[in-house]
Amino acid sequence: MKDNLLEINNLNVDFETFDGTFSAVRNVSLTLGNNDSIGIIGESGCGKSTMAFATMKYLAKNAKSSGSILFKDKDLLSMSEREMEQYRGNRIAMVFQNPYSSLNPSLTIGYQLDEVSIFHKKLDRTEARKASIEALQMMNISEPQRVVRRYPHQISGGIQQRICIAMAILCSPDLMILDEPTTALDVTTEAVILDSLKELREKLNMSLIYISHDMGVINKVADRIVVMYNGEIVEHGPKEQLFDHPSHPYTRALINCMPRGGVVKEETMLNTINGYVKRRGNQDVGCPFADRCEKRNATCENTYGMRVVGQSHMAACDRAYATDITDTKHLLKEKPVVEQQVFEDRPLLEIDNLHKIYGSRRKVYAVNGIAVSVAKSSVLGVVGESGCGKSTAAHMVAGLYKPSKGSILFDGSDISIAWNKRSPDMLKRIQLIFQNPGNSLNPSHTIEQIIGRPMKRLMHIHSAEERRKKILEMLKKVDLGSDYIKKKPRQLSGGEQQRVAIARALSISPDLVVCDEPTSALDVSVQASVLNLLNDLQQETNSTYLFISHDLNVINYISDYIMVMYAGKICEYGKRDEIMAPPFHPYTEALLSSIPETDPKKQKKPIRLGGQLPDPGKKPKGCPFAGRCHRQVGDICYKEFPPMVRLSGSHYIYCHHNFSEK
Amino acid sequence: MKKILQLITKRMFSLIITLVVMSFIIFLLVEIMPGDVAQMILGQSATEESLRDLRESMGLNDSVIRRYVTWVGNVIRGDLGTSAYMRNVPINDLLWRRVGHSLILALAAFIIFVPLSIVLGVIAGVKEKKWADSLISFFGLATMALPEFVSGVLLIIIFSVQLNILPIVSIIPIGETLMQNLEILVMPALSITFVMFGYVSRMQRSSMIQVMNSDYVRAATLKGLPKNYIIFRHALKNALLPTITIIGMNMGWLFGGLVVVETLFGFPGMGSLLMTAIKTRDVPLIEACVLLITIIYALSTMLTDILYSLLNPRIRHQGGQS
Repeated sequence: MKDNLLEINNLNVDFETFDGTFSAVRNVSLTLGNNDSIGIIGESGCGKSTMAFATMKYLAKNAKSSGSILFKDKDLLSMSEREMEQYRGNRIAMVFQNPYSSLNPSLTIGYQLDEVSIFHKKLDRTEARKASIEALQMMNISEPQRVVRRYPHQISGGIQQRICIAMAILCSPDLMILDEPTTALDVTTEAVILDSLKELREKLNMSLIYISHDMGVINKVADRIVVMYNGEIVEHGPKEQLFDHPSHPYTRALINCMPRGGVVKEETMLNTINGYVKRRGNQDVGCPFADRCEKRNATCENTYGMRVVGQSHMAACDRAYATDITDTKHLLKEKPVVEQQVFEDRPLLEIDNLHKIYGSRRKVYAVNGIAVSVAKSSVLGVVGESGCGKSTAAHMVAGLYKPSKGSILFDGSDISIAWNKRSPDMLKRIQLIFQNPGNSLNPSHTIEQIIGRPMKRLMHIHSAEERRKKILEMLKKVDLGSDYIKKKPRQLSGGEQQRVAIARALSISPDLVVCDEPTSALDVSVQASVLNLLNDLQQETNSTYLFISHDLNVINYISDYIMVMYAGKICEYGKRDEIMAPPFHPYTEALLSSIPETDPKKQKKPIRLGGQLPDPGKKPKGCPFAGRCHRQVGDICYKEFPPMVRLSGSHYIYCHHNFSEK
Repeated sequence: MKKILQLITKRMFSLIITLVVMSFIIFLLVEIMPGDVAQMILGQSATEESLRDLRESMGLNDSVIRRYVTWVGNVIRGDLGTSAYMRNVPINDLLWRRVGHSLILALAAFIIFVPLSIVLGVIAGVKEKKWADSLISFFGLATMALPEFVSGVLLIIIFSVQLNILPIVSIIPIGETLMQNLEILVMPALSITFVMFGYVSRMQRSSMIQVMNSDYVRAATLKGLPKNYIIFRHALKNALLPTITIIGMNMGWLFGGLVVVETLFGFPGMGSLLMTAIKTRDVPLIEACVLLITIIYALSTMLTDILYSLLNPRIRHQGGQS
């Protein structure tokens, strides 16, 4: 097989720990041709990154590897560190998930780029700098001459990641490994980077290994997809085939648990996968997915093996075509039709002219006058990129910050004050769920203490017995057993922690729950179950949600109303279906076009946003989106904040563009 | 560079405020010390009359505020007053010679312990859990556990008693200067090194380990850069930051707080002068010594901060978002 660039044969990576030996990668074989690209998908803890690092022969000291990794017919695993230096960064380059921490904070961008050419191509300083600037230009970074003199902290995340990619292409490598490179970035930035990767691959004739947990992203950059579960490849094949006929139960479950475009809560429940990825001892046998698989039978415990299920399409499941596994299209659980909810006319929450300016001398304009009202028992989804002020606005509602200006009316009473000035009753009625459950639960309290505390403080249930009864009830509602009551947060997985956080918030039956990106830190399968849970609880208790997320698919799934924010302003507000269908605000249009589509046949061209977010340190003037807008009307966009254009009773847009023309 | 100047002026301003507050506190503390100064100076047999005269001439009968203002005024003009115990000897004559000695001792110790502990700390950090690390860490712990009066005595036994190559006490013969007797610095400097080495090398080791496990060192390794280059160019600059803070925090102690070491070796520095001043209740001398030590503390903290920001671009370009 001379034409294979990379050939991984029976790769095993074991980690020796105090608790025994665990296998992180098991029996993985993979080939990659020239100018080929594969995407590796799976949840966290499935050995994707370990496999990538093994390819670079970069493993922790307690790791043991066996098998072979042939790169251009040479075995990388048997090479010395010295020999590896000739490959790393030169023939094989890698891009990491977090660009900010991957760049050295005390060296300039230029220095960090130059050293690659100095070491591998033996260029002198001026030649190296020239090469660096060319690489930056290739990544469409404006003013590269200035960028090279900057330090990493002076540059935004999206550009940092583009710099990391520029660093990787300096020696025009044969293979580039990208480990979740866009997970930490906004969708519009992600779209730009994914696009440029495609261009680079053509220009430089290189192969890609792209690791992600997001099927949509993988679809955009990869030709073939490899699905990994618990260290093993469970399925691989060309992307169209794999998507049309996912054969392994895990692949199916993974595809179906993502809230895709058009999936909404009234019609479907999200598919979930029970349990979580368990660490596997190196002696364990059987299908790794067996303990979470709905379709397992006795054979799964011992025999399984790769099976051909289509042209160059394999799945590691003996039961891949068993008749009791239904087709993918029907895997989404149909939901019994509930009667259309009628929202009360009187809004529960009314926000008017809300402003938040941080700092006194160096001002940061975070929220610049938003007005919205939230109907009782409805879910308002707030969506926008990082830095758009959505979290700040939500935190003001919850009372974490005091607004600089404007009013927040909750059930008729003014709550534009900080939480410590609010009455206990008001505190009880508004609850908050945070993004990172690991940080928002007190690590030294038991689950009982965590959930019991607001009951005691805000509902004045002083009898421990009564509290415990309620806590158990609540735990049952969030699908946690009564044995959890004595556990501490760190004994729980991320999904379980978020369930506890939800139980804490809902245990005192609040009227309004502010959910601040409650699922962004979770794996897709866990996200699905948390979304289902939030949705069920909302319908059961008739509470109102203010749901914040950067993920439009999630927002689309859970919301009744959607508010799109940009740079501290509202762009568009309306019922979910009104937002998701034209006419759009140009920013909503760009956002929607940037979402990576899961179905390979439905790919669309994203609207590329040029420019950057307006400087939050300057007092906003004109339309905040003007600098990046593809539908600019003219000078007026920069000078005047656009008027509210009402498109229907509930749908309005702030834009100078004339929507009636279309 | 403009930022650095700004930082310096800002720090100078807060330095002055610190000094004003500190000088007042020092003055008050010494004032409320029990015992009558005049009685201390003149002894138990002094007559009531001579005591009254002395109080009068030293201004002890004035109000505290008034005496403070006079004192500060004099200090600013460079007049630290006269010693109360050694009557009519200006403190300026006593103090500055000792300051010079202390500076030289601090410098000598600094030159030994800073490179030693940083280099060994880096080696220990890079070779984490290897034999070199175990050896260095053990040595660091052992010296940290030894108080300076024990390690000092050990040094005396080895170098003076057994090998007989260094003098037992660090006294400068009358009529000679420190520069003619540099060998007396060796043992005090070594025993200071014993105290500092453990702290500094352990700090350096742990920050080195942290940096070597960081994402950007991983990224540098996977760029194919040689290991030594990564250690010196990528890791060291970041790993030095916590160590510099620790060293800076100890500079004041190194200069004015060496009471034990100086007393043990009889070294004529600030520490032993302060010790004598306290023993003889020499109020003006105590005040002058403590004030000077305060200044040194504040200055070394300021220097540390400036050095820190020079090494750390995140502070240098604070808020300098593009």
